[in-house]
Amino acid sequence: MSESTSTNTPKPSSSVKLVLLGEAAVGKSSLVLRFVNNDFQENKEPTIGAAFLTQKCSLPTRTIKFEIWDTAGQERFASLAPMYYRNAQAALVVYDVTKPSSLTKAKHWVAELQRQASPGIVIALVGNKLDLTNDGNDAAGETPAEAEGESAAADGDETAGETQEGQDVTPGDARKVPTREASAYAEEEGLLFFETSAKTGTNVVDVFTAIANAIPESSLKSGRAGGAGTGQTSLGSGRPAEDSRVNLGERGPATAKEGCAC
Amino acid sequence: MMQWTSFVQKAQSFIDPANFSLPTLSSSDRNPSKASLFRQQFRLPDSQNPLQEITAELILPIPHTPSSTSPGEPARNLVDRAGNRYAGRLHLSERFLCFSTQPTSFTPSASLGASTHWAGQTNGTGPSGNGFTIPLCCIRRVERLNSLSHVFSLALTTWNGALGKQQNSEFVPQRFTIQLAGSRQACERFCDGLKKGLRECMKEIENLRIVVNNCYSEYLLSGAKSKAQNGEALEARQPPDAGLGMMFRYPGDARKLRDRSKMRLWGEYFRENGRNATLIRQPTFHKLIRVGLPNRLRGEIWEVTSGSFYLHLRSPNLYTETLSKFSGQESLAIDEIEKDLNRSLPEYAGFQSEEGIGRLRRVLTAYSWTNAEIGYCQAMNIVVAALLIYMSEAQAFFLLSVLCDRLLPGYYSTTMYGTLLDQKVFESLVEKTMPVLWDHLTKSDVQLSVVSLPWFLSLYINSMPLVFAFRVLDVFFLEGPKVLFQVGLAILRINGEELLDIQDDGSFISVLKAYFSRLDESAHPRSENPKLRAITRFQELMVVAFKEFSQITHQTITEQREKHKDAVLENIESFAKRTSIRNLGPDSKKLSMDDLGVIYDRYYEVLYDRQQRQKLQEEERQRQEKKRVERTSILGPPVDREVGRVGLGPSPTHMDYDAFRDFLAATAKWAIADSPGSSRKKSTAEQGFNSFRGWGKSTALWNNKPEPADHEFTRRLFSKWATDPNEGLSLQNVVNGLARLKGPRDIMNNINYFFDLYDDHGTGQVDREGILRMSEALLFLSRRGFEGAITPTQSVEDVRAKEHDQDKLSTDERFLGSVSSFIRRCFEYADPSHPDRAAKGQNDEDAAETADKLGSFSIGDDEEDLIDVDDDDAKSTDSTGTEKPAKQVTEDKPTAHHNRSASESANPALDPNNPLHITLPTFRMVILADELLEQFFDSFFPQSFHLSDHGLEALASSSLSSNLTTFSNIGAAKPQPSPAAGASVAGASGGIVPPGKGLRGVLDNIVSDGIRMAAEVKKRMDEAQRELERSALNRDDEEEDEEEEFDSRGGVATTSAMVGGISSWGAGAYGADPERRSVRDADRDLLEGAEVISMRGKDDASLLDDKDDNKQDRGNHNPHDPSHDDQNLVSKVEFES
Repeated sequence: MSESTSTNTPKPSSSVKLVLLGEAAVGKSSLVLRFVNNDFQENKEPTIGAAFLTQKCSLPTRTIKFEIWDTAGQERFASLAPMYYRNAQAALVVYDVTKPSSLTKAKHWVAELQRQASPGIVIALVGNKLDLTNDGNDAAGETPAEAEGESAAADGDETAGETQEGQDVTPGDARKVPTREASAYAEEEGLLFFETSAKTGTNVVDVFTAIANAIPESSLKSGRAGGAGTGQTSLGSGRPAEDSRVNLGERGPATAKEGCAC
Repeated sequence: MMQWTSFVQKAQSFIDPANFSLPTLSSSDRNPSKASLFRQQFRLPDSQNPLQEITAELILPIPHTPSSTSPGEPARNLVDRAGNRYAGRLHLSERFLCFSTQPTSFTPSASLGASTHWAGQTNGTGPSGNGFTIPLCCIRRVERLNSLSHVFSLALTTWNGALGKQQNSEFVPQRFTIQLAGSRQACERFCDGLKKGLRECMKEIENLRIVVNNCYSEYLLSGAKSKAQNGEALEARQPPDAGLGMMFRYPGDARKLRDRSKMRLWGEYFRENGRNATLIRQPTFHKLIRVGLPNRLRGEIWEVTSGSFYLHLRSPNLYTETLSKFSGQESLAIDEIEKDLNRSLPEYAGFQSEEGIGRLRRVLTAYSWTNAEIGYCQAMNIVVAALLIYMSEAQAFFLLSVLCDRLLPGYYSTTMYGTLLDQKVFESLVEKTMPVLWDHLTKSDVQLSVVSLPWFLSLYINSMPLVFAFRVLDVFFLEGPKVLFQVGLAILRINGEELLDIQDDGSFISVLKAYFSRLDESAHPRSENPKLRAITRFQELMVVAFKEFSQITHQTITEQREKHKDAVLENIESFAKRTSIRNLGPDSKKLSMDDLGVIYDRYYEVLYDRQQRQKLQEEERQRQEKKRVERTSILGPPVDREVGRVGLGPSPTHMDYDAFRDFLAATAKWAIADSPGSSRKKSTAEQGFNSFRGWGKSTALWNNKPEPADHEFTRRLFSKWATDPNEGLSLQNVVNGLARLKGPRDIMNNINYFFDLYDDHGTGQVDREGILRMSEALLFLSRRGFEGAITPTQSVEDVRAKEHDQDKLSTDERFLGSVSSFIRRCFEYADPSHPDRAAKGQNDEDAAETADKLGSFSIGDDEEDLIDVDDDDAKSTDSTGTEKPAKQVTEDKPTAHHNRSASESANPALDPNNPLHITLPTFRMVILADELLEQFFDSFFPQSFHLSDHGLEALASSSLSSNLTTFSNIGAAKPQPSPAAGASVAGASGGIVPPGKGLRGVLDNIVSDGIRMAAEVKKRMDEAQRELERSALNRDDEEEDEEEEFDSRGGVATTSAMVGGISSWGAGAYGADPERRSVRDADRDLLEGAEVISMRGKDDASLLDDKDDNKQDRGNHNPHDPSHDDQNLVSKVEFES
């Protein structure tokens, strides 16, 4: 609606309301903290109701300002959730790759969002705590983009999934949720899918950029004036805007593929 | 007998309107709303009820200061030199004497409006106004003063300061006077009540000593005194625990907070007005709280103003006992607590240490055990962490309990409905008081509660800097939840201008964040006036909150909560419903969403209905026993709290067998009992499942609901559906159970399912007993007709079936035939369980002969017998009677011609000596061989469970009234066709005559007779078996006689036996009752005797001082020897102090 005004500026800025949902202690707040401050804390105050944070994400054609509602994970807070996902354009449904029950809970949230949230909401399923698994350990040294490439490859590939399951048995690996299981579910439901580590930072920014890309232009409302200027630099202190743009280029096809499923 | 009397009583209750109010009258002495208002006003524990009240004047002595008292002056004279006087009302509860200047009445006769009046404008004096809440055990003596004859004055002396270790020679006991205003009678009644209470509370003085000695105020006053005398005493005594702040410093700058001078002021106040348990509230008290409490007294004053002190007093060791009782045990709550321990006020030094973390862990854990319904909720960690800075663990434990149960009701419950409700209330208050801002927020699509929710949930502790949050808490504990609203509104009002500029949630939050971070700055930094400049933003906030929003009272909040409650609960419930329906697993997908919704609603409706009924019964029982049971635990949800809704907290998760029957009765027509009482009789006759039954269910409580039937089939269904029958059925079980029956239409599935129900040992075999039970179940399920689900093929008969009724009639009737041929065929095709024994049985002539008779009875005769019975009843109705035998013949023709040969092979099958069984394929074959049975399993059986398809109500209303097996009620039912039937007539433009109720009644007769018949068949089998065993011993041929006797009894015998059973049962109960009562009487006498004895003992040591001569002269109610009493008193004081 207000798109016309924003197109006047070379790089339009729009704000996107994003809500994080998931079982308690899967690392929702840590993901946000990593994304917003590129930081990680072992002891974070529990979220009471919901925490509100903002972060800008720069895309080649526009800047997205995420208004992030990080909700409390304790079961009984679930009845407050509708208050927060109201009007949300995007949702991050987080589970813990070392805890199968958290995926079940995540599926419940996905179902809830699909029925109750605003239509066209972009949902990303995120398996966090990748650092506790063997791939996490291997991938820790690699760039996020490469790690993403791996799991993206595993998405539709049967054999890759099997080796994944084979890896589950290897000692020292705390993974309990095979990538294949979660990605198959994500594909079926038309969700973006990532495995991340808020601790090491693996894939965290990618999740948000993928969401930013997946949001249809038509559903964007323009942010406040002046928001566009700071967008590029604020995208993670250690990460130049240039870098993220390159990332985006690489991720383009994968995102498009997943986006189609929506 | 009993039925008759109860009927008469019932009838009388309808005639005599006075009887209606009987229950309310008798329970009015503890009218919940009155009592809870009383408790709220004086912050009393749930066990307290308003017993007596009287208008009175409180006369306080002129403050006793060292300078004003000359050493020689007897302290007692001080009381006559009156200081401040307060007019108000004096209240007496079981354990407390309360006085308040708020003119409130809690007598049952007073109107509710008058009682809630205290919630009106408080002008900062708090809901309890000026006055006191003194535990009776704190009163050392009460004297009646010799004053003017028309004035009734009592002088009270308390234990204030007298419980400490050392007694000071200068010690002056706290003493004040109360003048009662009322008739002499009223005054004396009050005094009697007081005397009784004082006596009963004497034993609690030890608790008082324990708790009081841990109060910082005691240390402050006695410590200061002993410091003046000798320095050693001070060193000897450790200061009581006043929170982590003593170790890790209190937040804020003590100098800036003027802690020292505040402490001095409080010391003075305590000296003049008593402390902790004996504190008297005067206006200064409220002012001192408004300016902020000094660090070391904060915890204690929170305890007193919130009333948690009185819980603490009641059971001083509850905290440590709870911890040791549950030590080593694990729970979900503990896991959740553990996750949050390191993240509760982590910036405070105390919570970076093991000491602080340990305290937090213990308090939260102990509370989660005492209130398992709440367990642990995030935000409690923050609140408790804050409390622990100023309080000991035990103090925080009791205060947390008051917070969760009374101050923040429902905030931390599993549905958090209290939190959501108060958000709604807050929003509506904003809308009302700041309409412009509200409009702006609505237009910008900013949801207020996303900001304000944490304010309420963690009492501003996470939002404001700690020092200021504690100032809010100081007032909150004194004045109650309205403070949270007042402060919240004030925050918005002060930031109103800036908030009108915001566009989204983000800017809303940042404006307020900025505001909170500058609370300590000057509110008017550019003002010329230095005084104005000195006012901080926080002070401004307090002024706006309590002056500008003084119209926000407790009553406002209560009204608003009431107004929004339903909407909030419905929201939560619809969320819970869709969540739990969605999570029911793959099986649930076989049912439609609507069906699942219906199951969900019905499931919880039944459970809550039962819960409510049980509660009522419990209350009724207590009322009848005239016993007021004090709750086992002093903590936990308030006694008068609301229950019975999903939205209010954890819901029951399992359904027992009785509840399951209720559920079925609301789902399937066949699950409704035939007549009141019959189901009960049956169920008590059955063994093995009696453990499922709750105690004393009375039919009177089935108000307007169909009474559920109890049949073996329903029990089998229950066991089949349950994962663990002892645990009951979860919603998941019920859904899965129904999904298997009502899923995709599949006759094989249904037949298999039915067979499985009777395959007791999981061997794929159903024995003779099982076959008979199956046939019983088929009749049981069909006894209310088929709702059109079964239609016999319109062949030869439909020519004769000119009328709809007759057609229906023949369907039901022919189903009977189907069932009997089912039995026959089952036996015919059954496999012998032990082939060798079967062969042997065939040779046994006697047995075969018996079986032959039995067989012919059960197979051939039952139909004819039925028709005979039916004919007797229905002879005059129409031509059906004559038509029936003909139809029967035609229908039976195919089977009849090989009947003879079949019976020959079946006869040995009926021999109890030849165990036999059918397998699933046989069962299937037998079912599929019969058109009606096939239809039964194909459509009727699954369709008889009504979910969202069509309500059972309509169906029930059309047949329920005629379900009694007496012929007389046919006539009664006939002239009033049900609305549903009437409607259908209108719709069908009168072309079809609706099924007459009279005929339906006849039909029901047939069906229930059929059931009885099947039961008889079984009985006969048993008899035959017994007979065979007997005859195997002494070869006596008596069967024929017995059989004849049986025949003459026919079906009628069973009914009369049933009636007899009920009446004898009733007589038994009636006879037993007075006996039981007499036992109780004896008990009571015994108890009273004991009480009298103990009372006598206590009287001797009574603290009620009878020393005053004038009082003794009047001789009102003190028959004791004064000198004797005095001696006792002195010795008591010495002993106790």
